[in-house]
Amino acid sequence: MTKRLAMVLGLAGLAVVLVAASAQAGRKTHKVTNVTFAGWSSGPDEDALDQQMANAFNRTHKGIHVEWQVINGNYPQAMTARFAAHNAPDVFYVDSSVIGSWIKQGVIAPLNGLIKKTHFNTKAFYPKLLGAFKKGNKIYGFPKDWSPLATEINNSLFARAGLHKAPKTWAQLRSDAKTLQQHGVAHPICLSADWARMGAFMYQNGGSITSHLSSKANAKAVGFYVGLIKSGLAYTPPSGSWCGQELGQSHAAIIFEGNWLLPYMPSTYPGTHFSVAPMVHNKKQGNLAFTVSWSIAKSNPHKAAAWKVLSWLVGKQGEKIWMSKGLALSPRKDVASKGGRKPFLAAAPFARGWGFGNPNFANAYTVMGNDLNAVISGSKSIPAMLSDVGKALKGK
Amino acid sequence: MTAQTPIVQAKPYIPGRARSEVVRKVLLYAIMLAVAAVFFVPFLYTIVTAFKSIPDSVNVGLPHPWTTSAWHLVWTQYDFPTYIKNSLFLAAVVVSCNLFLSALGGYAFARLRFPGRELLFLLVLGTLMVPDQLRLIPIFVMIVHWGLFGSFWSYILINLASAVNLFFMRQYFLTIPRDFEEAAKLDGAGYFKTFWRVMLPLALPATAALAILQFQGVWNDFFWPLILFGQGNPDHYTIQLGLAELRFTYTTLWPEIAAGSIIAIIPVLIVFLAFQRFFVSGVVSAGVKG
Amino acid sequence: MATTTATEAAPNRLRASMLGARVREAGWGYAFAFVPTAVFGLFFIYPLGYAVYISFFHWGILGKTAPGTGTFNYAKVIHDPVFHTALKNIGEYTVAVVPLEMTLGLGLALLINQKIRGRNFFRSAFYFPSIASSVAIAVIVLYVFSQGGLFNHAFGFGTDWYGNAGTVGWGIVGMNTWTTSGTVMLFYLAALQAIPDDVYEAAALDDTGAWRTFWKITFPLLRPAHFFCLVVFGIGALKLFDQPFIVAAGASGAPNYSTMYPIIYIYNAAFGVSDFGIAAAAGVLYFILIFALTVVERFTVGRQQAA
Repeated sequence: MTKRLAMVLGLAGLAVVLVAASAQAGRKTHKVTNVTFAGWSSGPDEDALDQQMANAFNRTHKGIHVEWQVINGNYPQAMTARFAAHNAPDVFYVDSSVIGSWIKQGVIAPLNGLIKKTHFNTKAFYPKLLGAFKKGNKIYGFPKDWSPLATEINNSLFARAGLHKAPKTWAQLRSDAKTLQQHGVAHPICLSADWARMGAFMYQNGGSITSHLSSKANAKAVGFYVGLIKSGLAYTPPSGSWCGQELGQSHAAIIFEGNWLLPYMPSTYPGTHFSVAPMVHNKKQGNLAFTVSWSIAKSNPHKAAAWKVLSWLVGKQGEKIWMSKGLALSPRKDVASKGGRKPFLAAAPFARGWGFGNPNFANAYTVMGNDLNAVISGSKSIPAMLSDVGKALKGK
Repeated sequence: MTAQTPIVQAKPYIPGRARSEVVRKVLLYAIMLAVAAVFFVPFLYTIVTAFKSIPDSVNVGLPHPWTTSAWHLVWTQYDFPTYIKNSLFLAAVVVSCNLFLSALGGYAFARLRFPGRELLFLLVLGTLMVPDQLRLIPIFVMIVHWGLFGSFWSYILINLASAVNLFFMRQYFLTIPRDFEEAAKLDGAGYFKTFWRVMLPLALPATAALAILQFQGVWNDFFWPLILFGQGNPDHYTIQLGLAELRFTYTTLWPEIAAGSIIAIIPVLIVFLAFQRFFVSGVVSAGVKG
Repeated sequence: MATTTATEAAPNRLRASMLGARVREAGWGYAFAFVPTAVFGLFFIYPLGYAVYISFFHWGILGKTAPGTGTFNYAKVIHDPVFHTALKNIGEYTVAVVPLEMTLGLGLALLINQKIRGRNFFRSAFYFPSIASSVAIAVIVLYVFSQGGLFNHAFGFGTDWYGNAGTVGWGIVGMNTWTTSGTVMLFYLAALQAIPDDVYEAAALDDTGAWRTFWKITFPLLRPAHFFCLVVFGIGALKLFDQPFIVAAGASGAPNYSTMYPIIYIYNAAFGVSDFGIAAAAGVLYFILIFALTVVERFTVGRQQAA
């Protein structure tokens, strides 16, 4: 028994070591400078597109070899750990909501020197988008793309209720939802318990997230948003789902999502027909711009090579490839977004960059999410949430 | 378990008793089968889900149609082969290093006399009191300072030996009669040879039980791989980190998650089925001393 | 060694060689014990002090960020309502999960301990969920209990069990009761099998019913096992991290801080808020709390157990 056991254990151990050894072998070596560029991936499409970017760069550049690395799940936490270890990728995505905190922590390199040296044209970028990655005059990253929110509707549910057009105002939104409800859609609107959606409604009501958070306009906008859910006209997506999925499954007839919905729907729910219309408005137009930059770490040992890659990625050539699949909108005036994006592009003049450059935003966003949940479930009042979030934004 | 036999024999024969005994047995089996079913249904459901498409995964019932696309995606897009290799590599290195060093230390504390032995042993036992939550921050900072963040070595280093295993091995060595060592000494064997050639083979059952538990521990570990090398380091992902990654994507990929879970469970399941007896005795004795 | 020295003539040389053997033995002893002891010192004892050290500084992503030492991190953590919520959650979780695990584990052990065929099969079946990883269990349970999932479908509920602040805590309790009861069962099984047969024989002669036999004889005799499980699984429960991390897909504590537990708080303070000083202070405070609890337990339940 013991002998057999020893043999089996030994063999198992040997097999494991062999497999492991083969895992360690076969590492490539390069004589050229290796540059890794990294980010998260919203799905297989984006991953493939990043890989395509890497291939395109490598074909046209000799001294630098780039490699794409996808980092999924808890991206900000993962990057925090890697910054701490001086182990960050060479060029990487930074969401506008965390850039303020990272600039304050001193981990992101300002690019002004490199811009000057290479005469890189910053004028080609929409100023609002580039502004999301600036602190004073210093530029800490270039937007790779962006997207605001829009109103998306499920065509067959609308047709069944005798409706033809997406709602334009809050009043229409409410009345359309009621009509849809009368025609068998239990909860017509899908609303996330997320300030990254509700924030747009606050601006539509003449409110603001950066100043006077406890204003009447903000409180009323929150009241409208939460009221839609409480009245049953809207619902929050269950855990593991999101409003895009709810639209695809024809549970929801009206949702407010960004350009990322466009590639998702045909690949996951090819049978569901939907339309995109500009974001609803109330007292005025209001929207949020979700934008992501390519940036470089302050501790990067070969910034020149990293900059060469970065400036190519956000340059005319790189952005042309990046826009080819229509995963997001172009940040450059001289590169067109893919067709059919008009309802999104309409928000360009007034959409506010999500994150607002606030250094405490990452933590405040956690407070926003938890408190909004509490408000929806009725365990917290709207003024209490606005005051909590206001404190968190000030870093208190 | 021969215990119950005399109980029945000691009783006078009562008519109807046999029938009630049958009823009791049937009831017992029914309960046990029901509990076993409840325990297994989630796993069976997972297997079924792994063969669904994403839109189909929100439906209860059999896949319609059956597809292996989830397996394909997990194997190519999400690079599970690499995660499996990483987990196996870590398990192999940690299990062998940890068991060797724990056995070596356990033997020293059990049999070799040296000044300060009791004090050092107290230190070893004291580490059992230190909770992981307190070690998280200092160990992360230490590993970063040493430039080991993001490499497997950080994980291997902090798992080189464990107090639980050392204590277990010490207790086991204490139960082995001294005659074996005396005989080895007479043959002129040195201390290490005595340990390696005589004592360690004698402690094989204990070592096997610990090896199996340690393998399970490393294979299933999520916390320390996440902290030390898993955050944003996909080519170092272990199987558990890879599985968690599927959960963290924007759209929940249930079929892929199901396939990934099955891949994550199968190796421990095989080890469990092959060495069940050691598993059970290991869990109990390793727990009782700790 | 004594056998070889017996042939030596001179007592002096005898003593010298005995001393040599002693030194040699001690040398090997140190050599054998060195690496494990060093590992424990470096990765268990030293970090204790280092954590306390870090907790007195402003410590950001790249190390100390601002000059000054003090107890400000402690003040911040002690006054943070989120930390209070984390403590409340872990308290409720532990108080719920430990008795449930023990009850289910003991029940399974009693079933297995019957004289029936297929005991080994059932033992393996009940233990099976314990071998699967926390991540795999968490994602499987999330799926089965999702709003349109198998559980709701089978029992006619419509609750989003793991997406709702009111139910997610219980969901995590249920998940861990399911997977840990198998391990508890093994301990109880070992304890049950250690009870001498004549105890039961006496009860059988008195014609005591099965139910009474259990409460009057078996249950009290299992007292060491109860105490052991209470301590081991109680301490285990306080370390909760993986399941809420997977359930909430991160350390935000969403929804409404219902998945906020102390270690999640520490993780989020370090990697979410980039404040390692706060994280270290929270770790030290939590350790002191656990330590105090352990001491109290030793002097109350532990004393009873010894009596």
